[in-house]
Amino acid sequence: MDPTSRPAVVIDNGTGYTKMGFAGNVEPCFITPTAVAVNESFSDQTRATAKGNWLAQHSAGVMADLDFLIGEEALARSRSSSTYSLSYPIRNGQVDNWDTMEKFWQQCIFNYLRCDPEDHYFLLTESPLTPPETREYTGEIMFETFNVPGLYIAVQPVLALAAGYTTTKCEMTGVVVDVGDGATHIVPVADGYVIGNSISSIPLTGKDVTQFIQQLMKERGEHIPPEESFDVARRAKEMYCYTCSDIVKEFNKHDREPSKYIKRLTGIKPKTGAPYTCDIGYERFLGPEIFFHPEIYNNDFTTPLQDVIDKCIQSSPIDTRRALYKNIVLSGGSTMFKDFHRRLQRDLKKIVDVRVRASNARLGGDAKAQPVEVNVVSHPIQRYAVWFGGSVLASTAEFYEACHTKAEYEEYGASICRSNPVFKGMY
Amino acid sequence: MILLESHNTIIKNVLTERFVKPSKIDVQFVDYDNVRFHLSTPTSKTVLVLSMGIHCWSDLKKYGAPEILEREFGEWVSNDPNLKEQDYDVTLVLDLEKIPEEGDDRDALIDHFSMLKPIILSAPFHRAYNEHSQLASKHKSTFQPGMADQAPEERGELMIIHYREEEAIYVQAANDRVTIVISTLFTDETDRVFGKVFLQEFVDARRRSSAIGTAPQVMYTTRDPPLEVRNAPGIAGVKRSEDVGWITFVLFPRHFATPEIASDTTFKLELFRDYLHYHIKASKTYMHSRMRARVASFQQILNRAKPEVIQDERKTATGRTFRSR
Amino acid sequence: MANTLRLYLTCIRNTLEAAMCLQNFPCQEVERHNKPEVELKTSPELLLNPVLICRNEAEKCLVETSINSIRISLKVKQADELENILAKKFLRFLSMRAEAFQVLRRKPVQGYDISFLITNYHCEDMHKHKLIDFIVQFMEDIDKEISELKLSVNTRGRLVATEFLKQFI
Repeated sequence: MDPTSRPAVVIDNGTGYTKMGFAGNVEPCFITPTAVAVNESFSDQTRATAKGNWLAQHSAGVMADLDFLIGEEALARSRSSSTYSLSYPIRNGQVDNWDTMEKFWQQCIFNYLRCDPEDHYFLLTESPLTPPETREYTGEIMFETFNVPGLYIAVQPVLALAAGYTTTKCEMTGVVVDVGDGATHIVPVADGYVIGNSISSIPLTGKDVTQFIQQLMKERGEHIPPEESFDVARRAKEMYCYTCSDIVKEFNKHDREPSKYIKRLTGIKPKTGAPYTCDIGYERFLGPEIFFHPEIYNNDFTTPLQDVIDKCIQSSPIDTRRALYKNIVLSGGSTMFKDFHRRLQRDLKKIVDVRVRASNARLGGDAKAQPVEVNVVSHPIQRYAVWFGGSVLASTAEFYEACHTKAEYEEYGASICRSNPVFKGMY
Repeated sequence: MILLESHNTIIKNVLTERFVKPSKIDVQFVDYDNVRFHLSTPTSKTVLVLSMGIHCWSDLKKYGAPEILEREFGEWVSNDPNLKEQDYDVTLVLDLEKIPEEGDDRDALIDHFSMLKPIILSAPFHRAYNEHSQLASKHKSTFQPGMADQAPEERGELMIIHYREEEAIYVQAANDRVTIVISTLFTDETDRVFGKVFLQEFVDARRRSSAIGTAPQVMYTTRDPPLEVRNAPGIAGVKRSEDVGWITFVLFPRHFATPEIASDTTFKLELFRDYLHYHIKASKTYMHSRMRARVASFQQILNRAKPEVIQDERKTATGRTFRSR
Repeated sequence: MANTLRLYLTCIRNTLEAAMCLQNFPCQEVERHNKPEVELKTSPELLLNPVLICRNEAEKCLVETSINSIRISLKVKQADELENILAKKFLRFLSMRAEAFQVLRRKPVQGYDISFLITNYHCEDMHKHKLIDFIVQFMEDIDKEISELKLSVNTRGRLVATEFLKQFI
């Protein structure tokens, strides 16, 4: 069995979570936080004094680089023990610390997925704004350390579009609104190619929603142990938040029937073991509201999400605009709030309609513009839409040809990884 | 972590979640050594079907794997022809409504299932251990440490397991020991050199430190297979080149004295090849991190060569300053 | 052993100090172009004699100078297979990051392991003696690093073996 007959490995590394699994599956095998807990006590001793028990020190230092954990275990261990320090290799969608990233991949492949990297082709993902050097470094790590037979580095928004493929329709044109834990990007894609200068990003992410909820809860005086407050806010966000259609009406609804709307969250204090409870009221709809009214959270950035999307589409080539409006795809965990897509569609349609009406008024009734159809697509696998798209693409036969192979890497060097041809998945 | 784990993480995770909350699932995944798994719920949410396909099933069938399957997983082996999947060799059906309650029993069950592959693969090893006890009782000689270098009096059957395309494990019992020869292929030049260094250390490790004097003896050759397997059937077809390494483990009776110790030893040996390759890759990672640190220090030295740029504010006569981009 | 290293490095340092007399020189063939003459080697009047400094058969250093650029190629000591692989990996790693180093050449000259290309612009931007310091330091550090890497591979091998066999006790 050669590598092309085995399923490819699909790893989607995001700022907050990494989704990994094998191609051909519907959902990833593992969704773990992108965090590494490293044992700090040995890392500075490799160049320590040569005297004394240097062999022991050296050997401790040499094997100490294997003394680390990733994912959920890393978070748990760093909380319980002070010798392990937590580090996040990916910041804002880009790899910051290559050493920890390489270690992270090593653990993913050998301990979680349990496959031999020499037997499988790999599909990795990257953010649309990564510099080409990053792809070279990724290629270097994959080919030289892990000896993978083939590698393809895909751009995340294109995969998110591929997630919407069905047997009859595979749209390669659309705007991908990717709201993740560390970075939010709005990326227009036309025929599989990213329109580079229209990419916009906003500084509001899933983490900001959590922080906002944490702030609100603190202001209200909820009794939560301080080291847990971020975690509690995150759980509250994931379990109870929803998107409303109008804030004022929602406030009234909450005030009129508090018992229906206010939810309760319980937890256990880690140090004492005593349970605590807290209420979640207005935060339920105020959290996701920051995307539509950023001024309630942050005074620096006040453009609501629908305006940014509109501006982004207007800055794309004019012949793509209608197609882009018709296919706005949501991806990323933070778009999973209930009714997020409906609210976004409604708000965006309002802006577009105003513009169409204004242009009709200017033309004075001689020519009526066709109404622009705005369609925000959402489907149940949004949380790992990028991973799913990768799985779909990696299970087609053309994937193996589009990959860069190790032979090419040996021959031409890492610069081959700079370009990754876009190919159509299913027809 | 330094040691690889024997059980399959994916099976363990999925079973733990599904035992608590059954839901639909259909996932295909792999494990080390050319093993494929398919975990699905074809008929109903509460019936989990786990199928495993092993490359060397035909070899394992000869050496007693079906019996072990029956013994360890008997109650879940499926005889239903509808559920049996074509590309897979073993199918187990687990009914979620009949599992024990939460607690140690349930955990034990999950662990047992996630060890499916190691248990099946251990069939030839157990056969060798049994053969050894038969041969040992025939010859009735007590084992002494120095005897490892002498040839045993009688050897048992040579069992060959082709667990990967070009790599195989050979197991042979004798009256005073059990010999296991593992062949592995290094595709990459760097891997080969690293592998050689590591394997040489395996051989020397016993000599170096007396603490592990009781561990199995290890011998290592490249290119030509060791004496024990030179006459094995099919050996002529195996590649002879520098890339192929042959590692021989000699197990003494104390390594499989009780069934528990025997299983333990077997699981660890099954993972040997993956352990080796894992550590070769981990060392390369370590090299990379050292190299990055070096690059940073070189850059620092180079930056010292640049003269300091003095930032003065440049102003025009009327007092307006320049803004530098 | 250390003595020959010192002598070797001092010799290289003296050579470089003498050779690094670079000035701006626009290209003679093509108008308004400025190319490093040592790479082209088209006009003999612009090139100086190349100097080869050998420490032993395995290690040598070639210094080629021209009017506006100097090319230094090094061959690093590689005693056995492991050192060979380590040196190759390390130098390839460095070469990929040549952009960050400015004076490093992306591909080594044929027959050598790594090459530097220093032009008059580099000399204008950076202090000359510090540049030479860098090159000499680099050569020292490469040797040290390769031996440290080799040592760590061996130590690691030992630990890997011990850990594995410890399980069987």
